[in-house]
Amino acid sequence: MIESLSTLVLATTPDAGNEGFMLLKIVGIVSGILGLIFFLGSAVGMLRFPDFYTRMHAAGKGDTLSTMLMLGGFGFVTMDDFSLGSWLLLIKILGVVLFIYLTTPTSSHALMRAAFEDDEMPMTEEDLKKSKKRGKKKS
Amino acid sequence: MKFFSLIPVIVIGGLLLWAGQDFPKWGDVESPASKSPVSSHFIANTGVDTEVPNMVTAVLADYRGFDTMFETVVVFIAGMAVIAILRGSSVGRPRRKDHEVEAEPDLIVTNTVRLIVPVLQIFAFYVLAHGHVSPGGGFQGGVVMGASFILIALSWDLEKAMSRFPIERCLFVAAMGIVLYGGIGLLSMMLGGEFLDYAELDKILPVSREMARYHAMLGVEIGVGFTVASIMFVLYANLASEGRLKQGL
Amino acid sequence: MTEWFAIIMGTCLFVLMIPVIYRICVGPTGFDRILAVNVIGTKTAVLLVIIGTLYDRVEMFVDFALTYALLNFVAAIIVSRYLNRTISLKEMEAREKAKKEAKAS
Repeated sequence: MIESLSTLVLATTPDAGNEGFMLLKIVGIVSGILGLIFFLGSAVGMLRFPDFYTRMHAAGKGDTLSTMLMLGGFGFVTMDDFSLGSWLLLIKILGVVLFIYLTTPTSSHALMRAAFEDDEMPMTEEDLKKSKKRGKKKS
Repeated sequence: MKFFSLIPVIVIGGLLLWAGQDFPKWGDVESPASKSPVSSHFIANTGVDTEVPNMVTAVLADYRGFDTMFETVVVFIAGMAVIAILRGSSVGRPRRKDHEVEAEPDLIVTNTVRLIVPVLQIFAFYVLAHGHVSPGGGFQGGVVMGASFILIALSWDLEKAMSRFPIERCLFVAAMGIVLYGGIGLLSMMLGGEFLDYAELDKILPVSREMARYHAMLGVEIGVGFTVASIMFVLYANLASEGRLKQGL
Repeated sequence: MTEWFAIIMGTCLFVLMIPVIYRICVGPTGFDRILAVNVIGTKTAVLLVIIGTLYDRVEMFVDFALTYALLNFVAAIIVSRYLNRTISLKEMEAREKAKKEAKAS
């Protein structure tokens, strides 16, 4: 049953290597590069932001979006033909994307709650001014 | 103190890196592992003997089935030992340590876990049953299955997970896994072969000798998965609550 | 072309992980370290898919990626649960210090 279905799918699709797959690959590469840009933002945010909550803002959002974009991009790039196997692969990769879409924000939220209940206070404007003054004195 | 402990770390790490140069290269034909007759025999014969594409599963569950059976028993004994040591050890101690406080289960975490756990359990069965063609098998599937119960215990509390999978049922399922494994071995012995000689099962299964080995391997993997999944959860429940099985981590 | 894309993506990911590893080593609070470990764990799932593309075995490595993401989630939940159920880290340090002083005197 499955074999006859896969041969039917194979027979109705055009030969591999034509422009349709090129378009898929370009879509995949563009989304991969977009994901890298978002991850660059998240990495710079991790490095530069002053306190824990702002760093979590950078990491939580940029990390989720960049991982989803990169994984989806690889799902499109690895599609060489429209056989049953590559459809299954694409669906599996999209399953990982869905899993990360659900779990990463949840773990960020759980960490944030743990930090807040541990009396880790967010930085106020006065704290920021103080730390700037201290930095100037040091330099 | 930190500085002094850094010295042995650097020395031993450097020694390990230096010794790593003597390893054979990746895919080297001249290396001892690929020269030995054992590996070439397995590469040539697993596909013919058992019709399993994944050689690792065939070697693990069929050619070295005896070894894997007692690995499963070792896992079972580990769970038993933890229960024997921790049960009743907390009688005289206070119910809560002085650095612990009460905490409500988090709404967002519980809802996410509610969504994820069924998918994870199906994924565990997929890993278990797909071990013949892709990496996976009883141990891996069992670990994913146990992790799903641990997630329930983490996001609500231990009582909630215990109401789903009580400790008596855990131990029963763990013992059933070993009984399943040994039972398949004994059945093949009764049918005229040796212990764990799955090919003899073709007398009661409507398949060829090779496919009988294939299907018997699946049964063996299911037994391993039962034991590993329930013992994982037993270990977590006992260690997190110091044997009380109540109000753990 | 696919292979080159995978290699370039992998190198870029490794380079961009350096600031995150800096946060693990230096991070002023423990939460920063946990957060950075979580970020690296998520990115490791992507790296596993990249390695799978290079070996031409993506269908195999996707399973690893899913399992790795699951373990990462479990780790984050465990740490946050532990911190939720105990008193704050600062207070714990203060209590240990008081205990040490009591022993010394």
